[in-house]
Amino acid sequence: MSISAAIGNDIYLTYFAIVAGILAFAGLVLGTLSFLGKNVAPIWATYRSWLIMAPLVLGAIFLGREVFIAGVTLLALVGFKEFARATGLYNDWWLTGLVYLSIVTLGVASTMPDPRLDHPGWYGLFTALPAYVIAAIALVPIIRNRAKGQLQQIALAIVGFLYFGWMFSHLGFLANATHAYGYLLYLILAVEINDVAAFTFGKLFGRHKLRENISPNKTIEGSLGAILVSAVIPFLLWFSFPHFEPWHLVLTGLIVGIGGQVGDLVISYIKRDIGIKDMGTVIQGHGGILDRVDSMIFVAPIFFHVIRWIHGIR
Amino acid sequence: MTEWEYHPAPDIDQGIVEQLQGFPRQPHMLFYAIRSLAALLLRGWMRIYHRLRIEGREHLPAEGSFVLVCNHTSHLDTLAMLCAMPLDRIHRTFPAAAADYFFSSVPRSAVSAILINALPFDRKLKGGESLRVCAELLDNPGNVLILFPEGTRTTTGELGRFRSGIGRLVVGSDVAVIPCHLEGGFRAWPKGKRIPRPRRLSLRIGEGRDYKSLDKTAESVKSVCTDLQAAVAELGSTAK
Repeated sequence: MSISAAIGNDIYLTYFAIVAGILAFAGLVLGTLSFLGKNVAPIWATYRSWLIMAPLVLGAIFLGREVFIAGVTLLALVGFKEFARATGLYNDWWLTGLVYLSIVTLGVASTMPDPRLDHPGWYGLFTALPAYVIAAIALVPIIRNRAKGQLQQIALAIVGFLYFGWMFSHLGFLANATHAYGYLLYLILAVEINDVAAFTFGKLFGRHKLRENISPNKTIEGSLGAILVSAVIPFLLWFSFPHFEPWHLVLTGLIVGIGGQVGDLVISYIKRDIGIKDMGTVIQGHGGILDRVDSMIFVAPIFFHVIRWIHGIR
Repeated sequence: MTEWEYHPAPDIDQGIVEQLQGFPRQPHMLFYAIRSLAALLLRGWMRIYHRLRIEGREHLPAEGSFVLVCNHTSHLDTLAMLCAMPLDRIHRTFPAAAADYFFSSVPRSAVSAILINALPFDRKLKGGESLRVCAELLDNPGNVLILFPEGTRTTTGELGRFRSGIGRLVVGSDVAVIPCHLEGGFRAWPKGKRIPRPRRLSLRIGEGRDYKSLDKTAESVKSVCTDLQAAVAELGSTAK
């Protein structure tokens, strides 16, 4: 991935056109609805944020591997910070700082080449890092000679690193794949479409609650609709990964369709357990960074490892 | 099994602008790092450009909360006093700054909150409310409040009358008040000029005092103000 590669890459250019088309179409629909006197003000706020986020994502991919990995690392840092502030782990600057440092190390491991191989992305360090980081986190209470409340502190730090840092950083590591453009652009677009589909199907046909103790607005109808849409998308975007066989496409669709919703529900029960509504206020109409990337945290590592198992990433 | 207790940040549902303009602010790792760096740079700048001299550092209490009061000739007063504080205490040193000026826009709020660690003081409508925030701040041991009892920068270079706020804040309390005087601020950066001139500055820190023996009456408030004004003026006169 690089600027010169992006300019000549048909997959990148096609996705560019698709995203521009979808945004223009959505704007037209919202404009028409608002012209007809429907109240679409809250959706406008969400839509406006999309108009900012879509160019940022496309821009980061355009600028190449390093920029994209740096962007993912930054999102992981902010996402972990939101988690730390929400749980109160943030008051412990030692552990918070240690996790920050570890997330940056993930970014470095994704960018630098394996010293024993010549291609970029140090996979060995990337997958081994959790062992080192958990060891370091477990050491902190010993160094500070503390016991009271330490299980909760290190448990939160480990979850914070593994879930919001390590799992999410797989998206960045994917930039090292031979088919990076196809994988990344498909994954990002498909996960967002999955979200929108769940919301839309839920609004139109939602009757039965999916998990009423976790997220009362989600419905079984919305969830099934999203899985259906997500199962079809890989076939429509087959050009992104021409080496996939049909059953790979089905698998990919299910990972996004089911995984995306599970990721959403994970953040929901975390928020509900803590007793807060949103993880932050960074993105207008969405909430915090975690409220936006929740599905991707779950989907990216599963997609990565399944694809790596089937095809290898290079 | 007992349930875990979470302590979400109290400002979790606030936007960044509200977080910057609100008070008390929650600790923020990045802001602390930026502020520490800014404090270091500021010390270098004040030392080289203004030849800042600080006398009487030994009068600053090593622990507990206290109030620093100073004459107000320019924005350099605050900066000079921040330079007098030990580096590890600057995150708990809060210069009271006029909310209508220092927190009037987003960039100004960012500079005031992140670099200066200013406390937004409403000097027009809710003065009493702001004083209550100051009192709560001082209840927490280890906090330092920087206050300019004249309420505004001097336009003549002379020491103005001390307003009653400082008296109401410290009368009957055991919080130490430390009078300071900055010499040269008016020549270096008079009100209305955009850029400070390279003039010498000299900060004198006086001996601390407290007013816990006084009752909370209008007369004692007045006498506190007179006493502090005289103390600051005296530091100024011995400097010349």
